[in-house]
Amino acid sequence: MPKITINGNEIEVKDGSTVIEAFKKSEQDIAHYCWHPALSIAGVCRLCMIEVEGNPKLQIACNTVVTEGMKVSNQSEKVKDTVRWGMDFHLINHPLDCPICDQAGECGLQEQYMKYGQHDSSMSQSKVKKSKVVDLGEKIVLDSERCILCSRCVRFTDEVTKTNELGIFNRGDHSEIGTFGDKKLENDYAMNTVDICPVGALTSKDFRFQQRVWYLKDVETTCPGCSTGCSVKVYYNNEGLFRVKPVEDASVNGYWMCDEGRPLYKFANHKSRIKTFMKIQNGTPMPVNFKDVELELSNIFSSSEKVAFVLTGQNTNEEYSGLNTFIKSANAKSDIYYWQNNVDSFDSFDGLLKRGDKNPNTKGLLKSFSSMKKLSELNNSAAETIVVFAPENIFVYPDYDQIIESLNASGKKIIFVGSQTTTQLFQMPEGSILVPAKTFFEKNGTFTNYNNTERKVKKGILLVRGAIDILEFVDLCEMKFEPDALIKQRKFNEMAKERHVL
Amino acid sequence: MSTVVVKRENLNSKWYLPGILKGMGFTFKVMLRNLSNKKKMPTLNYPEEVYEYGPRFKGNHILTVKKDGSLRCTACMLCATNCPADCITIVASEHTDPEVEKFPIHYEIDILRCVFCGFCEEACPVDAIRMGPEWQTAGINGASFSYDIKHLARRPTLDGGIVTRLDDKERHKEGI
Repeated sequence: MPKITINGNEIEVKDGSTVIEAFKKSEQDIAHYCWHPALSIAGVCRLCMIEVEGNPKLQIACNTVVTEGMKVSNQSEKVKDTVRWGMDFHLINHPLDCPICDQAGECGLQEQYMKYGQHDSSMSQSKVKKSKVVDLGEKIVLDSERCILCSRCVRFTDEVTKTNELGIFNRGDHSEIGTFGDKKLENDYAMNTVDICPVGALTSKDFRFQQRVWYLKDVETTCPGCSTGCSVKVYYNNEGLFRVKPVEDASVNGYWMCDEGRPLYKFANHKSRIKTFMKIQNGTPMPVNFKDVELELSNIFSSSEKVAFVLTGQNTNEEYSGLNTFIKSANAKSDIYYWQNNVDSFDSFDGLLKRGDKNPNTKGLLKSFSSMKKLSELNNSAAETIVVFAPENIFVYPDYDQIIESLNASGKKIIFVGSQTTTQLFQMPEGSILVPAKTFFEKNGTFTNYNNTERKVKKGILLVRGAIDILEFVDLCEMKFEPDALIKQRKFNEMAKERHVL
Repeated sequence: MSTVVVKRENLNSKWYLPGILKGMGFTFKVMLRNLSNKKKMPTLNYPEEVYEYGPRFKGNHILTVKKDGSLRCTACMLCATNCPADCITIVASEHTDPEVEKFPIHYEIDILRCVFCGFCEEACPVDAIRMGPEWQTAGINGASFSYDIKHLARRPTLDGGIVTRLDDKERHKEGI
């Protein structure tokens, strides 16, 4: 375990680690573009300059291995001057696109220019023009002018996905990244290149021009796309959710996530959601007050009527255990049916992150409910009411419409707790109730992933006011439910009473 | 009930008539002067006559246009970010011309919220928004206070639009 002194602070690092890793470990700033902890070392940006005591020349930190007793610094004037001129080289042909560039606000070049540069260009020649708005397939747009040739994306397709779509073509200031021939950058992990691009050369088509990044807030949560449960950041503001990006998590996903998880924010957005409690009356769903629903549900569960529950692996552990206790206490005769999607490819794995089980919490469901019947057996059930806790991510349920239709055809009363509106919901039997459910972005809890690891789900904002999760649904059945707005009102009244205002 | 007796010392303040006569005298003098020489009259008959400020007055906003008549704005949202009154709403979209790339399909200023601070003009990196000499913002209903692209860039008083100082094509020719 060699010791290294960085700007006067001594730390111990692992054998064979590089100086830049030591910088990251001691949480000190160092300029860099091409180095990425999960990729090989390229050493092309020449910005991570350090001065090693005893060496006359500056070295790059990313390709220098730590030796015992090494003393390095990146605070000296010599280093700062070198970084400044390195920046100037990067900016020679970099266009002034910041106003229209999606990366502006989270751009490595902008940040480091503010830190080290802040000077006008010393070039009298005009900038080299390269191709702009190059279509790299369904997901990504390339702007060659903005590229600083750090080669991160090239190394990513080379080392992580091993698909080798990208390469650097031509020489000198005419070099630009691109794909071979007509090949497109369309592998299952391609969007990670957008994340690792330190400038705005690779931008996501989905997010392109949707929002400036400084308008977005983020919350760290777990991707609900499959049983891997990658750590992700969901970016949102008052208008809804806009994008999903991976967060470093060595135990589960490393630095990456798959492209299937990226558009999952869409189902949580307002447009596709059930917004109020509804009851099917005379063949059409009519909005009803939650009080009426509460009364009806408590009647069902206090009577000896047999109820069937349909569950998927898309809810949190907390919800499952709350429901489990409720079922045991209220209606012991109830049957629980397990709605499983894509059964054929359920156990598949692509070798990197993507798993065939497209539910985030199948393990948690199986743990909470030991005896579940298959959904196909529901037709034989004697239950008069079916409570369906529908999946929120219906994109991964190819049989979704079909199953809802078959439930409708059974003619039994359905209590549908779900978040997504589809046309089938409007054809439910008379007296059925639609309950707006919360999505993963609107509740706190945990998922259990394929590896039996608990993954945290964190609440961002409530996108549909009035939506409830299963725990609140249980409260509703027990006539204990209080909507957020009423809780706030009650607390306000209590506080006011304490202070003798009311 | 009590009475307060105010004692006035000199004759001028004891009598109100001299003051009134003096004031009326001034009023009639000005009236006669205005009647005889209408051009020098300092007041305006407002709705019919409107005062025109100099071109540097910072009044109503103008979106500038390029030489071909299209909007200069690139929808970078710096004006909306900088706006202390939060009165600018922009929706960006992708342009078919790769040299333009991004442009606003919707640009709206809620003039009732605007405080005319001029920060939008200062923030704009491409001389797309300016504040012009027009200052009348009267309207007949709520909708007439939210200015859209049509009003901001192509209202009749602008004579087909104000051309920006900064043209992309010229910029590209210069190699910037």
